[in-house]
Order: sequence, then C-alpha cells, then structure tokens
Amino acid sequence: MTDATPDRIDGVAAKGRLDRLRAGLKRRHAKETRFKWYGRLAIAAAMLFLAVLLVRIVEQGHTAFYTHTVTVPVYMDPARIDRAYPQGSNFEQLAAEQQLARMGIQDDAAGTRAAQMKRLFSSELKFVAADLVSKRSEVIGETVPLAVPLSDDADLYLKGEISKDTPEDQRRLTDQQIAWLDRMQTEGVIGSHFNTALFTNGDSTQPELAGVLGAVVGSALMLMVTALIAIPLGVGAAIWLEEFAPKNKLTDIIEVNINNLAAVPSIVYGLLGLALFINWMHLPRASPIVGGLVLALMALPTLVIATRSALKAVPPSIREAALAMGASKTQTVFSHVLPLAMPGVMTGAIISMAHALGETAPLLLIGMVSFVPGVPAAIDQPVGALPSLIYIWENASERAFHERTAAAIIVLLVFMIIMNAAAIILRRRFERRW
Amino acid sequence: MKFRIFRSAEDQTGAGPVDPTETPRMGGQVLPEVTPSKARAGAEPRLEDATPVSNATVVDSPPVGPIKIAARDVSVFYEGKQALYDVSLDIPDKTVTALIGPSGCGKSTFLRTMNRMNDTIAGAKVTGRIAMDDEDINDRSIDPVLLRARVGMVFQRPNPFPKSIYENVAYGPKIHGLVSSKAEMDDVVEKALKRAGLWEEVADRLQSSAMGLSGGQQQRLVIARAIAVNPEVILMDEPCSALDPIATARIEELIDELRERFCIVIVTHSMAQAARVSQRTAFFHMGRLVETGDTEDIFQNPRERRTLDYITGRFG
Amino acid sequence: MIWIYLLILIALSAAAFLGGRELARRRAIGAKPHSRPGQHGAYALIWVAAPALLVLILASVFSAPLQRQLTAVGTPDAVAALEHFRRDAFFADAHRVGRGEPALQIWERPLAEHLPVEARRMVRIERTLSWGGGIAAILAAILGGLFALTQIKPQTRARNRVEGWIYGALFVCSAIAVLTTLGIIASLAFDSFRFFQKVPILDFLFGTQWSPQIAIRADQVGSSGAFGAVPLFAGTLLIMVIAMCVAAPIGLFSAIYLSEYAGRTTRAVIKPLLEILAGVPTVVYGFFAALTVGPLLRVFFNEIGLFLIGGPLDGLGQYLALVQNQMALTAGAVMGIMLIPFVSSLSDDILNAVPQSLRDGSFAMGATKSETVKRVLLPAALPGIAGALLLAVSRAIGETMIVTMAAGLAANLTFNPLDTVTTVTVQIVTLLTGDQEFNSAKTLSAFGLGLTLFLVTLVLNIIAHRIVQTYREQYD
Repeated sequence: MTDATPDRIDGVAAKGRLDRLRAGLKRRHAKETRFKWYGRLAIAAAMLFLAVLLVRIVEQGHTAFYTHTVTVPVYMDPARIDRAYPQGSNFEQLAAEQQLARMGIQDDAAGTRAAQMKRLFSSELKFVAADLVSKRSEVIGETVPLAVPLSDDADLYLKGEISKDTPEDQRRLTDQQIAWLDRMQTEGVIGSHFNTALFTNGDSTQPELAGVLGAVVGSALMLMVTALIAIPLGVGAAIWLEEFAPKNKLTDIIEVNINNLAAVPSIVYGLLGLALFINWMHLPRASPIVGGLVLALMALPTLVIATRSALKAVPPSIREAALAMGASKTQTVFSHVLPLAMPGVMTGAIISMAHALGETAPLLLIGMVSFVPGVPAAIDQPVGALPSLIYIWENASERAFHERTAAAIIVLLVFMIIMNAAAIILRRRFERRW
Repeated sequence: MKFRIFRSAEDQTGAGPVDPTETPRMGGQVLPEVTPSKARAGAEPRLEDATPVSNATVVDSPPVGPIKIAARDVSVFYEGKQALYDVSLDIPDKTVTALIGPSGCGKSTFLRTMNRMNDTIAGAKVTGRIAMDDEDINDRSIDPVLLRARVGMVFQRPNPFPKSIYENVAYGPKIHGLVSSKAEMDDVVEKALKRAGLWEEVADRLQSSAMGLSGGQQQRLVIARAIAVNPEVILMDEPCSALDPIATARIEELIDELRERFCIVIVTHSMAQAARVSQRTAFFHMGRLVETGDTEDIFQNPRERRTLDYITGRFG
Repeated sequence: MIWIYLLILIALSAAAFLGGRELARRRAIGAKPHSRPGQHGAYALIWVAAPALLVLILASVFSAPLQRQLTAVGTPDAVAALEHFRRDAFFADAHRVGRGEPALQIWERPLAEHLPVEARRMVRIERTLSWGGGIAAILAAILGGLFALTQIKPQTRARNRVEGWIYGALFVCSAIAVLTTLGIIASLAFDSFRFFQKVPILDFLFGTQWSPQIAIRADQVGSSGAFGAVPLFAGTLLIMVIAMCVAAPIGLFSAIYLSEYAGRTTRAVIKPLLEILAGVPTVVYGFFAALTVGPLLRVFFNEIGLFLIGGPLDGLGQYLALVQNQMALTAGAVMGIMLIPFVSSLSDDILNAVPQSLRDGSFAMGATKSETVKRVLLPAALPGIAGALLLAVSRAIGETMIVTMAAGLAANLTFNPLDTVTTVTVQIVTLLTGDQEFNSAKTLSAFGLGLTLFLVTLVLNIIAHRIVQTYREQYD
C-alpha cells in the first residue's frame, strides 16, 4: 500500500499512515479484551452472588427438613397422674426420671440430672401424654412408648450444628447432656425422619414444633383477596387507558400517576394501610383482608402496565376489522381484543401476584409481626404470612429458628418459582407472533 | 442536460430538481446517449445487441486502470441461507463503480463484504476471496479494525453520532490515534469538511450538535467523517435514498470530486444516479452478478435480457 | 353479615337480568327493537347491582368512623374524661363484653358500672349500622330495578346505555390509581400534620439528634424524645451510596456485555438467571445479609484489626477488631446485589434503544466494540442510563427489609461504612411495630418520615421518568 502520493493528503497526512494505524492496534485490542473482561466479570459477579445466595439458603435450610424423634417408654405411674386433670401432671419429669433409670444413672438430691434430661425432650411430650391419658384412661398403670420430638438444642446437636469442641459454657447443652444424647442414639432410642411438623403445624414458640402451614394459609388467603381486587381493577384500568381513554389532560394525569405509583416504596403502602384501613376503617389488624387490600393497591400499577403492553401487542388491524364489521367499540374490545391479549394479561397477573407474595415491608406495618399460633381460616382474623414469618423467625433468639427461617425461605421460593414457571409456560404456550 | 431516459420513481427525485439551465458537471464523464423520442414513446432500446439470457456465464468488458479490489467467487450466507452466489468482480481504483439491481438482489450484501461489516452480524458467513491490493481481506492476519480504517463506508440513512460536528469528523483519527496534536486535528477536521463541501456551512458552529444539521448536511458530514481517516476505498450504500433531490445532487457532485482520490463503490437503486456518477456498473439480480462493464456500455448495450428489463423499468 | 347482603344482591341481580330479558322480549313483539333482549337484561342488572354495590362500599368504608362518632356522642362523663388511649381500651373492652367475651382489663368503680351499659349501647349502634347499610343497599337495588323496568321499551338504546356503564366502570378502575395516590398523600399528610404540630418541621428536617424513645432533656419538644431526622437521612444516603457503588458498575457492565458482546445462547442463559436474582423477595436478601454477609464482613475486618493491633496502625486495628455485623457496608452491599438486575435490565433496554445505525457507523470507521461502546453508545445513552440509575437510587432509598434486618437502630451521624447507621425505613418499621400509643409524637413521627420518603422518591421518579421518556422519544 504505497499511499504516499501527494494527492492523498486530505484528512490525515498519508505519510506513514498505515504504520501509525498498525502501531496503535495492539494497545487497542488489549483495551478491547480488557473491556470485554470487565463485562464478563460483572456477569460472573452477579451469577456468583446468586449462587452464593441460593447455596447459603439451601445449606442453612436443608437440615430443617428432617428432625429427630425420641421414643421413650413411659410408665404411667398412677400415683403421679391426676385422672381428673391429666394436663396438670408432670409427664416430662416422669419420662426424664424413667429414662435416667433405664440408662442406669443415679440422680442427685436436687434432681438436676432429671431436669437436664427433661430439657432434651420437646415440651410436646406433655401434650402427647396428656392427650393419650384423657382419651384412654386405661393406660394409667401401663407402660406406653411415647414418640416425641427432641428439643431444639438436642436436635441441633445431632445435626452437627452444636459442636462438642465448643467450651461447655458457650453452648446450650452440657457435656453430660451430649453424652446422654450420644448414648441414646447408639441405643437406637432416637430416630431421624422427614420433618412433617414443618408443613403441618402453625407457628409455635418451640422451634421443634413450629411450622409454616399457618403462614402459607395466611399468604394464600391474602393473595386471594389481592387477586380478586387487583386483577379486575388493573385489567379494567388498562383497558380504559389503552382502548377508550381520550387524549386529554386527565388521561395524562392518570398515566403519569400509574407510572409513579409503580415506583412508590412498598413501605409507604404499609403506612397507607395502617392509616386508612386499620386506624380509619377499623378493619381487623393483621387480617388477610387488610393485607390483601394493601397488596392489591401495591400490585395495581404493575398489573396495569403489564396488561397495557399485552393489549398493545394486539395489532390494530384486528380492531379495525371488528369495527368495520359493525361491532361497537365495547364489543370489539371485549370479544376480539381482550381474548387475544388474555395470555399476556394472565402472565402479567401471575407475575405480579408472585411479586405480591414476596412483599414484606407493608405487612409489618399492618401488624403481621406478632406471633400467630395455629392455622387461620378466616379473612378477618389475624394471620401470619410467609414473608413476615421469615422476618419473625429470623429475629428469634433460638438458633433452631435459623434453619427453619431458611427452610421457610425455600418454601417461599418454591411457591414463587411455581408461579413464575406457570407464567412462562402460559407465555410459551399461547405466544402469538403477529 | 436533462435525464429523460429512465422513468422509475427514483429517477424523478434524482434528476428533477437539477436546474435544467445549468449543465451539471459530471467530471467529464460520458453520459449515456439515448434518443429522447424512444423513451417518451416507452419503446425499448434495440435488442439487436442484447444476447438472450444465458446461464450465468458473465461476459464482461474488463476495466481499464489498476484494480483495487478483486472479488472471486464470493458467496454470503445468513444463518445458512445463501444471499450471494459466487460473485467475481474487479473494482478499479479511482473510479466510481455502481452496484445496481432490484432490492434484495445482494448488492448491499456484496458491498458489506468489502469492509467485513458482515462480521458484525451474528450468523453471517462469507466464502470466496476478496483481494485488496492482492491481499485477501478475509485472511486471518487481516485485522478488520485496520481494514475498515482503509475502507470507509457511508450508509443509507445519515448516521452522525449524537456529538458535535467537530467530534464526528475527529472520531476516526482519534480512535485510530492518527494525529498527535490539537492543531493537527483541527487541520484534519477542516480539510475533511472542506473536501466534503460542508466547511462553509458549518465552520462557525463546529461545536454544535451534528443532530441539528439537515439530512443532506448530515450525509456530507458522514462522508467527511469517513474521509477524515484518509481511506483508500469508500463504500456507499444508497447514500441518497433518504435525501431530497437538492441534497442528492450535492452528494452526487461530491462523489464525482472524490473519485479523483478514492476508489468508490456505490450501491444505488436509481438508474439515473448510476448513470450520472459511475464509470463502471455491475448489475445484480437474485444474489448473482449478472453483468458488469463500463456504465456507458451497460446502459446502452446491455448484453443480458435481465439487465435490459431492469434498466428500462420492467421490474425493480 | 356482608356475605349475606352480597348473596342477596347477586340473587336480585340475576333476577333483574332474567326479568329484564323476558320483559324486553314481550314488549318487543310487533315492534322493531333497537337492542337485543339480552342487552336489556344486562341494563336491568346494572341498575340493580351498581347502586346497591355503591351503597355497600360506602357503608363499609364509613361505618367504622360513624360508629366511633355515634359512640362518642352518648359517652358518660367518666369515660369521656379518660385519656385517649385508655378510652380506646375501654371501648374495645365494651365491644368484647357486648359480644359476650370477658373484658381484658379490670376497670375500677365508676367505669365498671358503665361497662355493660356501654357494651349494650355499642352492640345496638353496631347492629343498627349493619342493618341500616344492608337495607339501604337492598332499597337501592329495588329502586334501581324499578327504574330499569320502566326503561325497557323497544326504542330504548339499551346496548348504548350498557356500554356507557361499562365505559364508566372502566374509567373508575383507572381513577382508582389517582385515588390511591390521593389516599397515600392524605393519610401521610394528616398524621404528619399532627406530628409537625408537636415537633416543628425545621427541628425535624435539620435536627441532628434522633432518639424518639427517650427524652434527652426535660424541656424536649414532644416530651418523649428528640426528632432530628438528619442522622436518618445521612444513614439512608450512606447505604444508598454503597449500594449504588456495587449495583451501578456491575449492572452497567452486565448490560453492556449482554447487549453488545454476548451471543444468543449466553443471553438466553444469563437473562433468566438475572430475572431470578430480581425476583428474590427482599426479606430473603435481608436474611442473607443478616446471617451470611454480615458475619462474613465482620470476621474479615476483625481479622484485619487483630493483625494490625500492636503495629503502627494500632488505633485502626482496635477499631476494626470491634466492627459489628450491622455495619452500613453489610446492608449497602446486599442492597447493591439486589439492585444489579434492576440496573442491568433497565440499562439493557436503554442500550438496545440506541439505533443500530450508530453502531454500524462506528464499526465502519474501524472502531472496536469497546471504543464504540465508550465513545458512541454510552454518550448517546447517557441520559437514559442516568434515568435508570435515578430509579435505582429511589429503590435503594425506599428499600425496607434489607436494612431492617441487617442495619442497626443506632442513629449515628456518620459516613463511615463500617459504623452502624439507621435509615428512614428502619425507623418507620421500628416505630410502628412495637407497642404503639396513637397520637404520641413517637408514633406520628413515623408518618413524618413516611411523607419525607414518599416525596423524595416521588421527585426522583418523576425526574427519572421524564429523562427516560425524552431519551426514548429522541430515537423513536
């Protein structure tokens, strides 16, 4: 390339041009490679965070899915059981003393050993035994095997969460208790199995008895209210804005409004719910009806935006064709445009419901931070919700709640994954290309 | 001189506004001569010279002068679909070569192979050999960055960067590190703008945004941007298709001036434009090169039936 | 009770539809009706359901405040003389007694006598309101239905009228959005106004002491604590800045890589994964911050501290060795992770809106991809990206769960990321989730904070949307 001809001097001087071009190339390609790596690193970082997040949750939570049960034969000593009021009898003490005796251990005068043994059993033992006695009083005087969960600390030790190597005063089990647990396990008294209580129980102050069912039902009730309110309103608003709204100031205000509402912090909706629904309308605090209303208002803007884009995707030719056939505007929209946009509308609705399911902050303000035992069944009674249960358990001081928190997160994520997967399948299945 | 021969829509826009009293300076190029009466009557050019449609054997008159780019058996595939079939074409230096043909005929595709712009499209594949100064540009050792600094390109729609006029022109020299001082850069920018015939219009507002220029000015700015790095070849992909007739006339004039210094390849829809600005013409149809030759010959004595049909407006 | 009314209403509506249709059919005999019978039926249905529903909704919204008003009117002096929260508790107990449940508190002499009387009175008021609402609704339904029946004639344009109603109903749906905004503003402004009566607004906005629980000086405004929100604003700002330091570069570079470099398969894999990251509820991020990131960072800094103790940097070492889990860095970093997909997907959209012709132009000049990105795409997309980052900032400011679970409660005025700070949202949650006495400056201050938060995020969003909108229109 000899381009040193004198007429090649417009623009960059021709002399040595190619050399100059070549000289810079190496540096430029190095920069290019570096830049590309920045991008790769950014993606890798994001993926790493996701992986660490999920792995940590599974790592912390998987142990909550199995638990340990101890099976102790208890001699229902007639001398120590009140037939008239079995609930008042100290079954735990009874079981602990008998277990000590079976293991050939002599209790001291103060009874500290029995007290320590007692702490290895869940307080559930008392209720199981009392229940049995009040139903079948003939068991008094017999020896019945009782299967009860281990207490949370004993369970944690067997799962390896409490280590023998920790100094005794820094762990919640004494050396003696640990030795007993080891012995009971080798003797086959303790068995491990799937933790069904986690899925069949409501919340409890005893970690080994606490379950997510109450919160799942609470969340479901709340989402039902949300869906019933938000979906019709959101779809209606979207139809009006997309198909009917005249181009005027009012429409502009509504549109800007919806866009801004979508970005209002969720906690502000909580404040709205507290002030409007609880303090002013006196709806019951922490009830699914209030939670559902708050979440509905919060989900509304995103739902409107999603529905509008689904309606936008229906080509105008469909509307023109229907109108040309003599259909009125309303008929066109409801019998032609909306059915075609339905998959998109449903997808948007499911995704916004999934989002509402995970929302926590507003629930705290409408009172869903308090302990709600059992499984609720009414929409005007206080309930817990999955995300608020996670928050409550995370704040609990018992270490056994940590693994359960992670387990509750896994349950929440599974529900969200199911909902999102449903949305994706719906989109794939009915996706139409115009 | 008026162009009355070709009556396609583009011709109207291309030729209409040129002041009929003014003789357009066409760089001493010989324009095709066809008697007006024929065109008016809608009659076809005589067919005696046109050979019947042959099966793809291209009989061409070779170009005179040194060859800048020699393409041999170039095929292009997009995602497995073939868009260009075995094109072999010599492009002479310091000449305007026009690529004509109906839309979708592969002319733009061929143009983009010459600076490897097809590399930027995922799933595009080019086979065959394209030699620039006897160097295969698709060779592994050729850096597309360097190649594109030597082969400039102007697109259908003016695409100035949303920056100042000055920065637009300075873009190439800056990224390639071709100048070492501000004064030198000022000089380069001024020369490129002058060469593109834009200097007088923008000299006093070099720092204002290029987006504020008119379409024609933007297209000349883009040409200035391309010539600022002093390329050897300038590829133009229908550079006037988005412009009004007056702006088109100015660009055509500019092309004619640039021909003295650069090898120019221009894709055009407009027969009249091809006739006005080019010395060589290649006619593409359905992804194949049908015929190439001196522009004058192609327009007066097409050897292929398809060429004749196309230039007389039978299809397109 | 409301369910019964709803059931009655549904039955009445169905009857109206069938009756209207039948009537229209009969009256249409021999005439050329404008609309079909079904449309007349729908018209009758609307006239039955709509007025009744309106009455029911109004009744359920206003019955509680009305009940309070009515209860307050006939209150005996002894009860009226009680402090506000004691009076609320008294009425709550009266309500319980009225329903046959035991009272929660033991009330002393004059009050204990009033309790059963008040209980009966409350039950009476409640029952009256409930029946009144229901009867009014049914009356409205019947009146509406009668009106509709008179309107069923062959020449009535029932279809047009029904469509008018549908149009109106759809408009009401959209208007709910505006009502929500008004509701937010009203509820925040009302309680904030009461708060600013107790604590001057300037003390709130510019005071540097925040301790709503304990009074620092005896003459303190609000007499329950100090309400200078500057430490909260500073803490919010600090955590937001840390979050943006994480989210902006990672999100932006991910977006650049995805839109400019990544092949189709990479995109198909990475984008859903980023969406998962975006879909993780914030409470999960909070858990992650509190139990994984916090301890990790604390151990990291403590180790460095222990290493430095005794060396030339002994002071720094002492400090680092005592760093807590709840440092601002923990919450900020995790919030940054949460915002990565948000920044990335917004920036991706923005970059994709830059016309391909600009990329082509740059490549054709011989620019490499990174040069194209840095010199053409980013400058062109700058306003859009700025808008996207502003939206992310607004998110960071309003984010609640991560900070509630991972940041502290101590209102330190500091910009040290290793110190514990608190934020506006943390304080709102803290103030409103404990035992609350309404009307105390402490509780009301949460609404003052909420109003500030709402206004700041609103302004940020409006600016950001405006910027993005202008940016998009530029390339449309």
